[in-house]
Parts: sequence; C-alpha cells; structure tokens
Amino acid sequence: MNQTAYINDVAYTIEPGETMLSFIRKHIGKSHVPTLCDAPNLDPFGACRVCCVDVALTPGGNMKTMASCHTPVIANSYIYTENDRIQKLRKNIVELVLTDHPLDCLTCEVNGNCELQTVAAKVGIRDVRYPEGKNHLHTPKDRSHAYMTSDLSKCINCGRCVRACDEVQGELILSFAGRGFDSHIVKGFDQSFAESDCVSCGACAQACPTSAISDIFESKSINFTEKTRTVCTYCGVGCNLDVATINGKVKSIQAPYDAEVNIGHTCLKGRYAFSFYNHGDRLRSPLIKRNGRFEEVSWDEAYDYIADKLTAIKAQYGPDAIGAISSARCTNEENYLMQKFIRAVIGTNNVDSCARVCHSPTAIGMQKTFGTGAATNSIEELEDTHCMMVIGANPTSAHPVTGSKIKQQAMRGKTLIVIDPRRTDLAKYAHYHLQLRPGTNVALLNMMLYYIIAEGLEAKEFIDKRTEGYDEFRTQVLNIDLSKMEEITGVDRALVKKAAIAYATAPLAMSFHGLGVTEHFQGTYAVMQIADLAMITGNIGKKGCGVNPLRGQNNVQGAADMGAQPYQGAGYLDVTDPEIHKRYEAFYGAKLPMHEGYKIPEMYDAALEGKFKALWLIGEDIVQTEPNTNKVKASLEQLDLLVVQEIFMTETASFADVILPAATFLEKSGTFTNGERRIQRVNQVVKPLEGTKPDGQIIVEIMNRMGYAQPDYHPDTMLQEISQIVPFFKGVKWNELGINGKQWPVKEDGTDTRILHTETFTRGKGKFRFKDFTETEEITTYGKQYPYILTTNRELEHYNAGTMTRRTNNAIILSDDYLLINPNDAVKHAINNGDMVCIESPRGKVDVKARVTDEVKPGILSTTFHFPEVMINIVTSDVHDEHAKCPEYKVVSVNIRKSKGKYKVT
Amino acid sequence: MGKKLLLKNIDIPGISSYEVYRREGGYKSVEKVLAEKNPEAVVEEVKKSGLRGRGGAGFPTGMKWSFLAKPEGVPRYLVCNADESEPGTFKDRYLMEHIPHLLVEGMITSSYALGANKSFIYIRGEYFYVLRILEKAIKEAYDNGWLGKNIKGSGFDHDLYVQIGAGAYICGEETALLESLEGNRGNPRIKPPFPAVAGLYGCPTVVNNVETIAAVVPIINDGGEAYAAIGVERSTGTKLISASGHIKKPGVYEIELGLPVEEFIFSDEYCGGIINGRKLKAVVAGGSSVPVLPAELILKTAAGTPRIMTYESLADGGFATGTMLGSGGFIVMDETASVLRNLHTFARFYHHESCGQCSPCREGTRWMDQILSNILKGNGKMKDIELLWDIQGNIEGKTICPLGDAAAWPVASAIRHFRKEFEEFIENPAAVKDVKHYYSVNNISEA
Repeated sequence: MNQTAYINDVAYTIEPGETMLSFIRKHIGKSHVPTLCDAPNLDPFGACRVCCVDVALTPGGNMKTMASCHTPVIANSYIYTENDRIQKLRKNIVELVLTDHPLDCLTCEVNGNCELQTVAAKVGIRDVRYPEGKNHLHTPKDRSHAYMTSDLSKCINCGRCVRACDEVQGELILSFAGRGFDSHIVKGFDQSFAESDCVSCGACAQACPTSAISDIFESKSINFTEKTRTVCTYCGVGCNLDVATINGKVKSIQAPYDAEVNIGHTCLKGRYAFSFYNHGDRLRSPLIKRNGRFEEVSWDEAYDYIADKLTAIKAQYGPDAIGAISSARCTNEENYLMQKFIRAVIGTNNVDSCARVCHSPTAIGMQKTFGTGAATNSIEELEDTHCMMVIGANPTSAHPVTGSKIKQQAMRGKTLIVIDPRRTDLAKYAHYHLQLRPGTNVALLNMMLYYIIAEGLEAKEFIDKRTEGYDEFRTQVLNIDLSKMEEITGVDRALVKKAAIAYATAPLAMSFHGLGVTEHFQGTYAVMQIADLAMITGNIGKKGCGVNPLRGQNNVQGAADMGAQPYQGAGYLDVTDPEIHKRYEAFYGAKLPMHEGYKIPEMYDAALEGKFKALWLIGEDIVQTEPNTNKVKASLEQLDLLVVQEIFMTETASFADVILPAATFLEKSGTFTNGERRIQRVNQVVKPLEGTKPDGQIIVEIMNRMGYAQPDYHPDTMLQEISQIVPFFKGVKWNELGINGKQWPVKEDGTDTRILHTETFTRGKGKFRFKDFTETEEITTYGKQYPYILTTNRELEHYNAGTMTRRTNNAIILSDDYLLINPNDAVKHAINNGDMVCIESPRGKVDVKARVTDEVKPGILSTTFHFPEVMINIVTSDVHDEHAKCPEYKVVSVNIRKSKGKYKVT
Repeated sequence: MGKKLLLKNIDIPGISSYEVYRREGGYKSVEKVLAEKNPEAVVEEVKKSGLRGRGGAGFPTGMKWSFLAKPEGVPRYLVCNADESEPGTFKDRYLMEHIPHLLVEGMITSSYALGANKSFIYIRGEYFYVLRILEKAIKEAYDNGWLGKNIKGSGFDHDLYVQIGAGAYICGEETALLESLEGNRGNPRIKPPFPAVAGLYGCPTVVNNVETIAAVVPIINDGGEAYAAIGVERSTGTKLISASGHIKKPGVYEIELGLPVEEFIFSDEYCGGIINGRKLKAVVAGGSSVPVLPAELILKTAAGTPRIMTYESLADGGFATGTMLGSGGFIVMDETASVLRNLHTFARFYHHESCGQCSPCREGTRWMDQILSNILKGNGKMKDIELLWDIQGNIEGKTICPLGDAAAWPVASAIRHFRKEFEEFIENPAAVKDVKHYYSVNNISEA
C-alpha cells in the first residue's frame, strides 16, 4: 500500500523513511524550500532551521513547525511549505544570521554564487533591525595554504565544512570550538590551514555556502563561460570533474555530486593540481636531436624523419627490433591505436604499457584463478560489505577518494584488516594491522589460508560448486611450516589467526590490493592467494565482496584492455592462438606476427644485446620510474631511434631522438576505464595548446604516413572500431556512455556489468593453486651485505614521477622525497629528522632526506620517487615477478649512512 | 505532614554510609527484583506507579522504559542524568550528597528491569565533591556484592560508572549528554532516532533523572499502587522541590504532589512565607526555563481555582496564564525584585549555555541578552520589546533541542505578564539605576 502525504494540500506518494525535505524537493522542486546547512553529500544536520515547514494532521489544522531536512514524512500529514508563519520565521532566522555577517556582497568572492545571498533574497530581507553589537566580523583571513583559504568572518556556523571533513574525507581537521554565539570553526588545534594536518581535498571549500572557506581558484564562485565534465587523469579511481573555463582557459575544478564514482568529492590532485596544463615548460613543437641538441622542426619533418628511420630499421633488423611502450595515462582509443600501429603497421607484438610495472601480476593472477584480470566488484559496495581487507596499498595517499571511503566505513565500526609493512593512515584505523616484512606476502597469506582451513571456516558449498583443485590445495596449505612463516613475516601468528577468522566469518568481505602485492618477485602468486581467500570464503560473485585491485593510473585498466601487452591483443585475446590471429589479421587488414613480443624489461635487455633498435614511448618517464635507472639509461643509449610523445621535457625525453609534443587530458576527448572497469567519457575542455596534438591524432598521422589508412582520431569512430574487436566492449558507444559511464563487459544492447562472476567464473570454475613462499633473490644474494630493506611508497601530494604535480602548487605543500626510518635505526646511524641519508644498494647510491618515524619497523626503510633530484630508482633492483615481469620495487637490499653531501646523483 | 519516600531517612546520622543505609533497609529493592527474576514485572510496577520523569519533561517513566528497543546481541544502557544545571534547581545534588546509596540502588534495580549490564551516572562538572561521595558509595556497593559479576548469585552482571561533565548546561539535554559521554562535543543529536533505539554508542539507551531513578526504589519496595495512591490524578507520588528566593526557609522539600501552592509558600512546614513580611510578586515554579507567573496567577488559576503542585494544575491555562512543574526549581520573588533583572540573569545564562548549533538559538540567545542588557543600562527602545518577542518566537519550538524553548519561555512570559516593567525601564531609564525611585514608582515599601 502506497502511503501519501500532502504538500500545500496536494497529495503525493511517500517513500518509506524519506525526509520531508527530499519529499518536497522531489515533488515541488529543488529550490522550493530554502536551506543553508543542507548539502547533497552530507547527512542531515538540522542546524540552520531555514528549512522549517508547518505540519498538521488535518488540512489547515493545528500546525507544528518542523525542520524538514531531518524529519521523516508522516503519513497522511499536511505539510505547508510557505504559509505566512513559515515565511516570517525564515525571514527572521536569516535576519538573525545576517546580524553577524559582513554585508559586503559586492566585493565578496562569492557574490552571485552565495547560498546565503540566494536564501536572503528568497525570504526577502530588506533591513536588519538589530542594534550594533558583538560580532565576528574582524576574524582574520587565513592565506597560509597553497590552495585552501578561509575568511571566517563570513562563516554562518552551518557546519557543512566540519561535516565534509568528517563525513566525506574523514580527516577530522575542521571542528567547532566555543559554545553558542562564540562557537566558531577551527582547523586542527586552532591552527592555520598550512599548519594543520589538512590534506587539501577541498571538500570543505566546495561545501561552504559562503566564502568562509574557499580556495585560491575561487572554484565555487567563479563565473565561468563554460563548464565541462570530464574524468581525472591521475589515479585509477576515475573521479568525475566539472572543469570551469573562461574564454578557453581552465579556471577551477569542482567535483560533481551526481558522479557515481566520487559523489562530490575528489582529492587535491584532481581538484587543484591542474595548472601544469598551460605551464611554461610545456613542449610546443616537435623536436629532433641533431648533434646532441634538440631543434624545433615541423610535424611533417618529424613524421618523415621517424617514418624513414623506422622503415630503415625494419628493413635492416626486422620488425621485432622495433617496439613501443604505450601509456596508461592516455585514453582507451589512443592505446588501441598505439598497439594497432605497432602490430599492423610495424608488424611486431613488441608493445607494452606501464601496467607492466604496476598491476600486470594482478591481471595474470586473476586471469589464472578467475579468468578475468580485473576488479570483480565496485567501490560503492563498501556500503554493503562487513569487512575490508587492504593489502599492500595505501589508498588514502594513492587513491584518496577510495581511501577516504574505506576510512569512513572503518570509522563506522566495520572490520578493517591492513596488511602492510608500513603503519599507513588506514592501518591506524584498522582492527588488525599485520605489519609484515616487505616481500613476505605469500608467507603471510598462506598463514591466513591455513587458519581459515584449520578452523573449518571454508565456504564448502561455494567451493564444491564453483571451484576446482581444492582438495590438493587444502592439503598443501595445511602442510606449511607455521613457525617458519611466522619468523619470515615477523607477524605474530595469533594476530594472523584473528585477522583470518575476522575475514572468513564476516558475512561479506571485500579485499583491496595495490602495488605492495604486485611489485614483488612473487607478485602473481600473492594475487592468486588473495583470489583464493575470496573463493575459500565464498566472497565472489555478489554485492559487497570480491577482489578489487586498486589500479594505479587513470587508465591502466584500459591500456591492458586495449591490447597494449606483448602477448595479448585488444580484448585480452592470445596473439599466438591461430584462430584469433586470423581474426586480428582480417580485422586490421594486415599481416601480423604470431609470437609474443617483448615485455618492458625484456626490451631493455634486448637493447643492451643489440637486438632492439627503436622504441616509441608515450607519456612515461621510464628513466625516473623504472627500477635500476643506470641500466635503463644504458639501454636507451643503445637505441638507434627513441621517439617520445610527451607534454614536458622529462628525464627520459632528454634521451630521445625525436620528441612529439602531445596534448593533456584537458585538451582531448576519449575514454578512461577506471579500476572498477568503468568506461567513462573524457571530454575536451580546452583546445590543445598551440603546437601540440592529442596522442591519438599523432599515431593516426604516423600510421597514414607509413602507408596504413586510418581515419582521423575521434572517440566516437574509434569506439565503433574497438567495439567490433574487443568482446567486452561490444555495446560501448560514445553517445551512450552517459555521465557515469558503463562497467564492462557491456553487452551489445548496452547493458553493463557491476559484478563479475555472479553465476560462473569467466574460466568456468575458479582454480585453486598453492604456492609456497620463496625468498627473493635480492635478499638471498645481497641481504647479508646490505642488511636494510628499502621499500617504496607514494605521497598524497604527488603523482608518480611528479612530472605534472611538481608543476603545480602541490610542490609547495610537499617539496622533497623523504626516507622513512625507524627511530632505533636513526639513533644507530646518528641520523636526525631532516638529515641527508646516503642509501647504497648493489646498483648505486643516492642521498635522501630522513624522516624519523615509527611508521616503519626497525630494519625497514621506505621512500618515494616523485623527485628527479633524488632518482631513487638508481638503487632499486633488477628482480622481477617471474610471470608478469613486474619489477620488485618493494624490496631493495640497502645500506645506509649519514651523508655529508647535499643532493647528489651518482 | 506529607509522606516522604526519598528523604525519609535523610536526617539519620551516617545515612550516606553503606552500613547505615543498609541497616535502614537499603538495597531491599535489589534483593527483591533479583529474587523475583522478572524484569518485565519491574517495568510493569513502574508503569503502575504513574511515575513521571523528574528532570522536567514529566514523561511517564514506565512508558519510556517499555519503548527501549531490545535487538538480539546488542547491549542496552541506562544513563542517569545528574547534570543538574538549571538555575534554581538543586534537588539532585542534595539527594546525591546526603543519600548516595539511594541512587546507586535505583540504578541497579532499574538496570535489572531494562536488562542493562552497564550504566552510567553523568554528573555535572561543578559537582566534583559529590562525585567523590558517589564514587565512595559505588565502591561500597561493589565491596558488598551489589555491583560486579553475578550479583548476589543471581547471574546478573552490572557495572556502574560515574562520568563527570565539563561544565556545560547543554549536556543535561539527553542526546547532548550521550554525545559528551561518548567523548564528543556536547551537541544535541537530531531525532529520530531516539535514544531508546540508538542512544549511547548507537545502542538502545534509557536516560533518566536522578530523582526518577531514586523513586524506583520505594516503588519496588512498596509497590506501584502504593506510590500511585499518593498525589492527584496523573501526578502521582512525591516530588523534590528546590525552593529559593525571598522566602524564609529556602531548601529542598519532598512534597506529596497535590500540595496547594499557597500552602507550600506560606506554611511553616515548607517555605515559611516571604521574608521581611513583604508581598509576593512572582514565582518561577519549575526552574529557570518555565514561564514566570505573577502572584495572582501562581496562587490561583485564571479560572480562580487554587493552584496545586501537580503537572496539570501548574500548566492550567497553557502559557497564557499557566506555567510548568518542570524540575521543581521554585524561585520566589517578592515585591522588591525586578522581574526584568531576573530575566536578564536567565538570558545571560542561556546565551552562555547555547551550544551554537541551531542558528535561531545561537544568534537569538545572544540578542536577547544584549537587548535586555541595553534596556537595563537605560538604552532601551520601545521597539525592543517587539524584537524580543520576535526572537523568542523564532526560537521556541524551532530548534533541535529544548534549550531553545527554555531560553524563549522566560522572555515570553515576562513580556506577557510584566510588560509594564519593560515599558517603565525604557521610558524612564532613571528607574533602572535608582532603586529607591523604582520602589517609589512601584509602591513598594522599603524594609
């Protein structure tokens, strides 16, 4: 039975539990009832009282005034939204608020975009009757921060910023101090924005209805000429962004509330770190290196130069002497084009992407276990789950929006298990933090599997019906040497047992993993164990569970989907399979090779061996980011041709023979696929900077130049082509992606898929495979001589090599790489906070600034590689995952000493 | 002589100690409920007694208890509101200070009825010396097996904690109290959900006043019917009244509900009449927040019937001519008192104590204070009266918690019943400064 209630004597059907405000908004209109403290992404607060309505139980009967924002609709009640009493009340309340508000609208930042102004106009304030009195109009402004600003004289105490900081970001930096009329907003311990622990996510600035909290871009008030919705180019969360432009210039960014991925939230990279796009350092012309110097040339000249060189190399050494590293920062369409160019025009499978150095073990491990190498579920299911297990990932820094969602759930009391050598931000909120020695994931995950089996907590029905290989697996797991594993991991077995039981007994448990799982010698195995944990507990194929890799880059999922891999073409189809080979040849209309190509590390080896002569590189600074820098440099020097498509001159670009200036994400259209398989539209916001072209167009032009007819780059036509060859893109159409995109597989009729493996696994049955722990060669070979273990991590403020973020104000907030070192170790080497520390590994040595902290255990060090001044990858190792060839960035045997020198790159 | 249930043993030397309290029949109610092993029956008994919340709102206690949600596997809590901070109210302090075991006993008995294995007494920060008394009593109760695991072999476990507030009146509001108890800023919560469903730490919780919980002890000992036999209609049992102001014998009195107001003020058994033989001018009958009434309306209703000390009689006539029993803070003003000055004291209090969450209360309490202050400095204007009327109207019933009402009602009632005094102070500022002049224009004899 539908229940009804009346709004101004007209009957409407009510939904169970809905508030009067949402009821009225749905039926009468969004701005019918004025509000000040209400915000779309925050819980009702009930503080401003401007939303009050009169409620009676009979038409026009005895009225009671109620705040509509937090009061549930009463069935058969009569709600009066703007009778005289209510109008007078609203007017009086706003008048009261205005008694402590500077009436300087004309010179105010938010003039014309101020919610208080709008509400005051709506309720019709003409004068303020109150005498002079105490006020907060002289509260000083805070201009201390690189992005955030505050002018609390404009504050109306609606609490939206405080709630955004709590409920959206979960940082708890903003709070109320004082009581009654004296209540006011404070940051941290009554500090400035810069002094506080603010993470600059900007949620408060977006939430503030006035200009009390804002940002340097005045993002909520800017009177833009155009607002374009696009997708963030940083991490794999895939936040939607509303980019405001004035006369073709980007002015500010806000997070749309109707974005399913980020619901009005984003981090300081997405919201504020965009000013790189028209930075003076942008490359603006094709460059050819002649006599050791780059000379500006025309596009034609550059294309001719490249085409001639490639043709010559191909003729002399064969197509396999040529290869490309495509870019996870580029669109699906561009990645598709890149692999098509290499395969169909050059005739080799030597195409890879930076997925190699991050989540390639995830793709292989999950393919082997489930049949599909992608996240099984969606991030929004955090709402449904009961237990979250985060392994080798630091999402509050690397995937901030997902990180804050996990944190929110943990703060609400859901079980959180963190497996990480560092006491990450999430570890501080975790019920169980298993602080293992880097490189021992396999040992630890086997211990968890052991306890689940030993305690009889397996999901027997699921295992019987949906999986294979369990009996053998079970025996092998039960045979592991627990004491040895406990010693290897350094984690108390009782704690592991508790965590295992918590994961196994939760009705629904979700796992998340990052590069701390994959960037290891046994990375693929660890991924398979995470998948095993999900299968053994039946946490697959339903809402609120699954295995959810936190994909690093904005389109690392898409780069692999599109075939930027040497063994699989577009759509993960095996290039060595004769049937598939035939299909690709027919589709591309070209002769294709049938053997696998080089993976990235194999390209370096082949170059050093003289077998690999030309490399085409898009948007990746391999010199700064690939491990063992000196080897990478040496191999680049061996090449006859290095073509780099870039937006800035990078460490790698300086090695190039030809540099092609590319356009940024703000300057082109296409699609990115986020970590939950969601294909979202990237829409061009501004025209490409003069002299630059979208990467896709550059590839199209070189394809044509080399004799392959490929139409100009446009996402619509590109997707038409892709949907014919990539099975799970069958129903993807540019015009049907909508504002929130679609999650693949997308059927021909356009329906998408939220959850994978609901009925059967892609490979039929899920496959259990046991693997015992093996120590990495890095430790067995160098461990004695270099007793410290260095691992690598990310800082919130910077993205990877920092090519973009270092060219924004983020560099003001964090301007150095730091070495995290335990106080015990620091004392041993007389190292103080801020001292330079020399890290030495078998590959080389670098100097890094020390940050003494108990975030890491004694014997363990951790640092970032955001800054070329440090070049930490000089020391990182040459060990790779044995299946995926993903480098082991996470375990490096090193020695340390206090350094005398300043920054020093050897 | 009225019947006494709570204070009957108050004069026995050493009653604050466990030995004497026990000797005088203390903890019998606990023995009784543990022996009968029927928590629902205890709730029924309280329902039968007609006991109503003694904190001020007067909500039937038994009904409140029966609303407590009882989901499987979720703890339930009893919280005692001992954050007695209303100006003019000091009965809970008196009770806790002199007969602390009565509260401890009531907490155990009530917790048994509610199935709560943990309970909390949240005590006003300024009552730090009472805290020590309570803690001693609780320790004695633990030492004698009335608290802890398996109480007296019954299988019932109970732990009782005292938490001291930090000096905020708002924390006497039950949801702000729960926030504060959890360690958060003491801001009231929006309702629903009500504490009976999601209270302390999100679990079902009953919050009761000290006196309410103490009253459970005689109700269980003598039966709900015996309790209900005292009083008039829906105002059953006895009530503690904190009497203060221009009376001969200020103090805490336990009265049978139904006692005539006139008898309470003038009889020697209670307040003993007005000091110095002056005339009664006004009474604030139930703590600072209830409407102030002039002498003629406090002694008799508008209809002319004598007012008696019950929830119903004091409220007779609504706010136009009536007031409330409230928490029983009975403030008597003689003819020399200025209702306006007294009102300003209250307004300053509410300005100081508003939490600042709801805009009408945050801004309004401050303006009421300032406007009254202006008037009392001789800077008032006639339109200030209308402004005050507007402000109180914006606050009353428009805020998350009742602090807003509490701040509005004194202002509204003072304007309603003593508008002349406002006008005099505004028209003739000298009257404000010169007491003699004030007396002369008001026909008050100086004593």
